[in-house]
Amino acid sequence: MNVSKRWLHDLVPGLQATSAELAEHLALRGAPVDTISSPGEDIADVVVAKVLSARQHPNADRLSLCEVDGGDGVVQVVCGAPNVRGGTYYPFAPVGAVLPGDFRIKKAKIRGELSQGMLCSSKELGLGREHDGIMELTGEFTPGESFVTAMGLDDATLDVEITANRGDLLSHAGVARELASIGAGSVVLPELPGDPGVSLAYVEGTGEVAAGGVTIRIADPDLCSRYMGAIIRGVKVGPSPEWLQKRLRGAGARPISNVVDATNYVMLELGQPLHAFDLARLAGPGIVVRRSSPSEPRFTTLDGESRALNTNMLMICDAERPVAIGGVMGGLDSEVEDDTTDVLLECALFDPKSIRATRKALNMSTDASYRFERGVDPDGLRTALERCVALIVATAGGTVDAQALDCCPVRFAPSLVDLRLARIEKLLGVAFEADYVNELLHPLGFVVEGSTDGTLHVRVPGYRSYDVKREVDLIEEIARTHGYDAFPSDLGPSRPGSVPDHPMFLLEDELRAAMVGRGLFEAHTPAFAPPGEGDVEVANPLASTEPFMRRSLVPALLRRLAYNLARGNRDVRLFEIGTSFAKAGPGSPPHEETRLAAVLVGRREPPHWSVAEEALGVWDLKALLEDVVGRAYRGSAAVAPGSVAGDTFDAQTTFVVHDASGNAVGHGGRVLGTAVDTPVWASQVWALEVTLPSNVLAAPVASYSALPTVPAVERDLALIIPDAVAAAVAADLIRGSAGEELEALELFDLYRGPAVPEGTRSVAFRLRFRSPERTLKDKEVDRNVTVVLKRLEEELGVKVRG
Amino acid sequence: MTDSNPIDALRALEAEALDAISGAPDEDALEDARVAFLGRSEGRISAVLRGLGQLSADERPAVGQEANRVKAVVTAALETRSAALGRPAGASGLDLTLPSRKPWKGGLHPITQAVDEIWHIFRDLGFSRARGPEADTEWYNFEALNTPLDHPAADEQDTLYLVDSVLLRSHTSPVQMRTMERHEPPIRIIAPGWVYRRDTYDATHTPAFMQIEGLVIDEGVTFVDFKATLAEFARRYWGPDTVIRLRPSFFPFTEPSAEVDVKRVITRPDGTREETDWLEIMGAGMVDPAVIENAGYDSERYTGWAFGMGPARIALLKHGVDDLRTFFENDVRFLGQFAR
Repeated sequence: MNVSKRWLHDLVPGLQATSAELAEHLALRGAPVDTISSPGEDIADVVVAKVLSARQHPNADRLSLCEVDGGDGVVQVVCGAPNVRGGTYYPFAPVGAVLPGDFRIKKAKIRGELSQGMLCSSKELGLGREHDGIMELTGEFTPGESFVTAMGLDDATLDVEITANRGDLLSHAGVARELASIGAGSVVLPELPGDPGVSLAYVEGTGEVAAGGVTIRIADPDLCSRYMGAIIRGVKVGPSPEWLQKRLRGAGARPISNVVDATNYVMLELGQPLHAFDLARLAGPGIVVRRSSPSEPRFTTLDGESRALNTNMLMICDAERPVAIGGVMGGLDSEVEDDTTDVLLECALFDPKSIRATRKALNMSTDASYRFERGVDPDGLRTALERCVALIVATAGGTVDAQALDCCPVRFAPSLVDLRLARIEKLLGVAFEADYVNELLHPLGFVVEGSTDGTLHVRVPGYRSYDVKREVDLIEEIARTHGYDAFPSDLGPSRPGSVPDHPMFLLEDELRAAMVGRGLFEAHTPAFAPPGEGDVEVANPLASTEPFMRRSLVPALLRRLAYNLARGNRDVRLFEIGTSFAKAGPGSPPHEETRLAAVLVGRREPPHWSVAEEALGVWDLKALLEDVVGRAYRGSAAVAPGSVAGDTFDAQTTFVVHDASGNAVGHGGRVLGTAVDTPVWASQVWALEVTLPSNVLAAPVASYSALPTVPAVERDLALIIPDAVAAAVAADLIRGSAGEELEALELFDLYRGPAVPEGTRSVAFRLRFRSPERTLKDKEVDRNVTVVLKRLEEELGVKVRG
Repeated sequence: MTDSNPIDALRALEAEALDAISGAPDEDALEDARVAFLGRSEGRISAVLRGLGQLSADERPAVGQEANRVKAVVTAALETRSAALGRPAGASGLDLTLPSRKPWKGGLHPITQAVDEIWHIFRDLGFSRARGPEADTEWYNFEALNTPLDHPAADEQDTLYLVDSVLLRSHTSPVQMRTMERHEPPIRIIAPGWVYRRDTYDATHTPAFMQIEGLVIDEGVTFVDFKATLAEFARRYWGPDTVIRLRPSFFPFTEPSAEVDVKRVITRPDGTREETDWLEIMGAGMVDPAVIENAGYDSERYTGWAFGMGPARIALLKHGVDDLRTFFENDVRFLGQFAR
């Protein structure tokens, strides 16, 4: 909200502070100031000048020669604006003045004629965008007076950030209340120039009221608890006086006409939106406040937009049709125009939730709806109406009907909240005395109406009735006004929590450390995915290119890999631990899994002069996959050759991971060239992805076994194994047939070539035998080996290499 | 060999050789020393080794062992001195100035590093880590946290929805309720995790980002504890001269609510010290009694405080990164700058 500094000073007697001090004070009250702008700062040299005459430049068709009175004698100025006329006032930058952009005005000769200064457009002054001509000033001025002062630009505008709970701060009076304690302690409404001193008598009713030939009826009191109206006859619509225009500009508002400006003034000052109807254009004349009917599908608001209505929207209607969307925007057909003479001024209270639903359905937000949605002072309607009437009469003339209308089906009753001093101490950790609590609350409008046994009974002012309903709400007011800075900051004793560290975090920590140790960099990618990469759809995605939640982490990582390759990074090893999403039952949240994925390309190790370069290969991928699976599944899942659905992995070089129950929980392998965008020089790309178990398995406790005291006996076997027999199958058979003395089995060589028959390869195993009790004899070991060879030959067709 | 004890003689020779080596002013002098002690034909240590055969079988092993030891020590001293004189080893030796053979270096993402640093401080303050789903219901994301859906506060975080009342959590605060449902006080947790908002990518916004929730619930927890713990965190993270400032704010699930700012003291290379501006680091406050009641706890008995902070922003400020989107590019040259 834009707040005028001058307005605040008028509202808070005794307030003395710079803009920066006000901003600091408001920040410490919970209303930080985003920016402070003083539009007049850069154009202090500009004065108001009167152009006495303007005639054609003798040497240029489009230029004029003007005689200008800038207060310091009459000078000649060459002007290119089409709208320059004699007898009119304009902003004028005399020779020596500096304009925004460090533009210094100098004496010049333009097409042979002397020009001493510049008549300015609003754009040149940094006040507007239009550049159709110079800025014509209306009103009476003294040539040479400061343009900034004359226009009221010597105010400062503070852009105050208002939190959603503080609708009361959407007004100058509300902001002023937060500053009262650094002024004389209270907020006083400033006197209006030319205030006629109107006093109104009210015709009151709960359903329908009538006065001055106008009726007001509330048909839907659940959405409108009060609707007041005042009739002003014989107004003359025209520009507002200069003081009012300045005030509005200081608060960032644009002056329109006296009647509209008066309603805006009161809204900006008190936070109560008001609306002025042209009485002559209201059928009846009367007002009916009711929900829209199905026969009224559309309505044209005063901005000329035709808007679709629904039957939950509250409409302000005359005797025949809707004339405004209640609390949101007036209609085009009933707004005050230049020829309006009689005005019905609306001052009403609408239900915040209904306003919110309506303006959301209409996809719009207005100054009025913004305030009603956050809560308007239910106790301030008469003050606002009377102030607005006074301002209209003062600025547009006319007379107000002595009888105003006040239709109020639901009367506001201020609430009393009990506040226990002991509870304040329990929550804030500091004891507060009753007198001091009163001192803190009073300037904000809270009244301590009495106390019993350490409990204060506090009356909440209407403008705070929306956010202060409970004891804790008052305690926040006490903490806030006491000042958060004023609380001590001593660390007291505390108990450790009852919640153990989540095991998934421990597993993630372990895996991250392992991946980093293996030379991978951790990547972060957002979980959004393009079509085809997920089945969980975002209903209101921001980017239509990524409307899904990812099923797998690999595609985004491959894109990051490609991004790196495209930038010449030839060695890329990335991993990520993140969430994958899969559709669950209708209407229920998706199924989430925590997964680890990795992508790799480039060399196995950094180039070194002592070894030849070698690209990452299948055995590196398999090792990485086994490491991840081993840590995640603690030995209960197996990595085996297999195939993966989809077109990311090469079927010949893919591993799949199965857990103890046989569920596929991961895979890895070579990425097909069609699945990743790589330059020709890039080496093979590898990827893996493992779902981490949702019930994280604890790392097993290592159990000690005594180190052997007797020597081992080793035997090397060179075997000719048919290609159809997997090495792992042969190894399993060796393990199963070598006897319990087999301590270890190692595959240490593999050969394929002319020395072995076609369709086979030679595989060398080293078997280590040991008995815990005694040294084995060669003969015993040889017997075991014979059994192994026999079974290999019989069951797998494996022969010893001759 | 003389009559004196051959081992003593070897030790004297060792001392003499080491003196000559350390005193060698250049390569030529060093080579002279090598020849004098280890030279194949004239070297004095070589001579001892050659003469071993003439010793008695009793003496031979001990003297031989000692002679070999002295030879090794002197050889090492020659190499060290040679390297010190700036000459790479000769044709037969290794040039040890050549680069070493290293494995690839990996590293954690800078945001993870920030999360870990923050976590380690809170761990030392008695906290543990909790987590919850990233897709959650309106109840956990809003209503359980005292945020009615028809209140303007529900708009402040523009939420991404999946179906009906299921959404991508817009903050980590749903973990508050999910943790309280499963555990009894005292609660002392942080909850790092991804959150989602309907924001466009720019230098300071990304639609998915990390957040760290904090929650403390126990008897006797006050605003003073809240303020003191966050001040302690700030000092441990940014240094002992760091101060915090709490500014009143509004979050539906805390009351009183605060924005927390820090002011650090930076020591420049020339030793001068400078205070930074106030820097907003988190939203926080005392847990609203309505939230405590929603968890099934007695709000008269239990009080608490909570916070939410953005580690990406903290990492950005810490490392001088000027655009949050850089964190998502995952350029290995960028990630390598944070490797340890």
